[in-house]
Amino acid sequence: MSVETFVTDKAGLQKFYEAVMASRETYAPVEKFGKFDFKRVARVTECDPESPIAKTQSIKPLFFPRSAKVMKFVATSAGTDVSETDEDPLAVKRAILGVKHCDARSLQVLDKVYNWDYIDTDYQKRRENTVIISTRCDRADTHCFCTSLDYDVENLDALDVLIVNGSDGKIYIKARTPKGESFLKETVTGQASPVTDEIASPDLKKQYDAFAGSFRLKMDYKEVNAKLSKIFDTPEFENVSGNCVSCNTCAFVCPTCHCFKISDEKVKDTGVRYKSYDSCNNGYFTLMAGGHNPRPVKYRRWRQRAMHKFVYYKERFGENLCVGCGKCTIACPVNISIFEVVNQVSAAGVQE
Amino acid sequence: MEAEVKDQLVSIEKPELIAPPNWEPVIMGILCNWCSYAGSDLTGTSRIQYPPNIRIIRVPCSSRVDPWFLIKSLQTTADGVLVSGCHPGDCHYISGNYFARRRFLVTKKLLNFVGFHENRIQFSWVSAAEGPKFAKVVNKVTEDIKKLGPLHLYKKENFEK
Amino acid sequence: MNYTKEIQDIAAKLFAEGKIDVFVGYRVNGFDDNQVPVLITDPQDVSKLVFTDKSVFNLVNYLKNDHTRRKRVGLVVKGCDSRSLNLMLTESQVKRENLYVVGICCEGVVDEAGQKMQNCTDCMVPDAVVSDELLGTPSGSDTLSGSYKMNADIAMLAEKPLTERAAYFEEVFENCIRCNACRHSCPLCYCAKCCIDQETATLYNGANTTSGAFHALMTWSLHLAGRCVDCRNCEKACPSHLPLHLLHKQNESVIYENFQEHLAGVVTGDRGAFYKYSLKDPDDFIM
Repeated sequence: MSVETFVTDKAGLQKFYEAVMASRETYAPVEKFGKFDFKRVARVTECDPESPIAKTQSIKPLFFPRSAKVMKFVATSAGTDVSETDEDPLAVKRAILGVKHCDARSLQVLDKVYNWDYIDTDYQKRRENTVIISTRCDRADTHCFCTSLDYDVENLDALDVLIVNGSDGKIYIKARTPKGESFLKETVTGQASPVTDEIASPDLKKQYDAFAGSFRLKMDYKEVNAKLSKIFDTPEFENVSGNCVSCNTCAFVCPTCHCFKISDEKVKDTGVRYKSYDSCNNGYFTLMAGGHNPRPVKYRRWRQRAMHKFVYYKERFGENLCVGCGKCTIACPVNISIFEVVNQVSAAGVQE
Repeated sequence: MEAEVKDQLVSIEKPELIAPPNWEPVIMGILCNWCSYAGSDLTGTSRIQYPPNIRIIRVPCSSRVDPWFLIKSLQTTADGVLVSGCHPGDCHYISGNYFARRRFLVTKKLLNFVGFHENRIQFSWVSAAEGPKFAKVVNKVTEDIKKLGPLHLYKKENFEK
Repeated sequence: MNYTKEIQDIAAKLFAEGKIDVFVGYRVNGFDDNQVPVLITDPQDVSKLVFTDKSVFNLVNYLKNDHTRRKRVGLVVKGCDSRSLNLMLTESQVKRENLYVVGICCEGVVDEAGQKMQNCTDCMVPDAVVSDELLGTPSGSDTLSGSYKMNADIAMLAEKPLTERAAYFEEVFENCIRCNACRHSCPLCYCAKCCIDQETATLYNGANTTSGAFHALMTWSLHLAGRCVDCRNCEKACPSHLPLHLLHKQNESVIYENFQEHLAGVVTGDRGAFYKYSLKDPDDFIM
């Protein structure tokens, strides 16, 4: 696979962003109430592609919307007419600016489940038509732990285009995938000059080492995973989930949580069926029609959450579901860290 | 008042949504069984004309009106809401309308605070003997809401984010 | 304000006397100097407890929790927290005999940036109104008819024209992601099944639309009108950082100014402004 690299400067980067926005529908982090969320933008001044990782929501809603229309229905005297929804606004050709590494990784992980027994065509279409443009992280946040997990952050190829701030003051725009390469070829015209890949590489390596050294949270993933898979019945889950308030916001901000609920929204005789986020921390997430609830108490729901992230998904798809972004810890009103939870539980060991 | 209304129409409620010709408002009228509903009955039997824009729902008492009813009406069909009950002291259940009065004030102020014009949420006390007053109230509410134009804030029909 | 030692001693004493099964307090979170709640069941762990001006979260929320249900609980409450506890007691959600309440005469807490929280600068009830033991010096402020301080954000928004206010709130509701964290973190939202997410609801069923968020947040704030104690747990939980206090403070100011009511939860046995009336209530807005 040949990869193209362009070199430019600060002004050139702005021009590149403008060219991206001119060529495609562009989504980028936009600040609202001190929090950045990915929104449709038309000008560079509206957004901040280098938004701080701790304050930025994930890009999951651009692929798996917070509420997606499934179908429309109209009740008539003859029965109910069901029709397809309007065209999916997320399926057009688009580019996303300011994506973080962990977010890009989350798409790789989600691809597995969306290509599993049922192929989610909506998701596939959104994924195919999207070019992900990321700026390399240079410093880990308090709750980041992506380097401790089972994937290679340095050579992550889920990013189509990577922007690197070189130590020489130049900015390198690197294609990481064929899709990114062809996108760069059609978009970068005049603002940058192509260079060979080798120029950026040593610098890249040095930067990555500095980045990897800035992590507060580090763990031995293999050991934690192996231990966790054996300790389903440990009382430690009760201790670690003690101060959880079951507010569910961890699942809503998580870049890889993909549980959903179906709801009908109607006015008079017409309505729309929606697929919206749900959370396994909800007390009634597993409530069945007969009234039985297999996870009636909080620690069982937390166990499900932690084990799904670190054990079950790995067993089934070979990838760890948690990508180590720390978004759940930041959003959590009582700062429960999934990192601490899995470490504490696996350290407590098996109860005899 | 005129300028403010115009302003609201143009900037919040998108220009293309300004009242089409021959537009008639829909007003949700929530009336208490014992006074206002009987009062509206009297208006009819006395052959006093009032605008047909009001859609009447009968409730046992004005304190039966949950603020949620107002939110729900405004989000679905109605362009405005009128809630009417017995005069203070006349409540069939002794004190229902006193409780309701507190809720009404808080609901009205809150809805006004988040952007609904205060004339869209109106209250009145109409007794069973006040047929002409009921007609007057409905006339005034209809006129007020006609001036404001159709309501488009947070309407459910749009089904959009 | 530092009652770390006093609280550790009290908790140790309570465990030793066998008066409680679980103690709810604060501990340092382990990565910066902010604090998170901790539920202590093992007497060995009482040394984890701390209390300073970083002890922000309202612990009364844990009384509606699996870990404290049908148990004897020791609890630390500040002024605002004690008001919500008072309401929970009044609404028969917890039994007073199962609680050992450590009240704090609060001097105000600070947010993560180190700024004094807005609700603390406006606070009228800094001392715990329910307690078995009171730490600190009572401020002696008049909780029943002290001077009410209008929230600065409310005053600022109320002056704006209707259109600007509408545009502002449209943005608020648009940025809501309907995770319902505000509701779950509120100590007074204890319903087993909330009215805004019933399976058979006729109007909204939890899809994330702007109108749905409007509906949910308005219904929520009206259910808390006259009960909200302004502890700001909801804002702490909101992942979109929405200014949810605006809705509650607006209701609170209307109630305080128009009905000559004291603040919610100040008097034991008082269910809030909507459970009583006065013949002198304003009538001029009604035709």
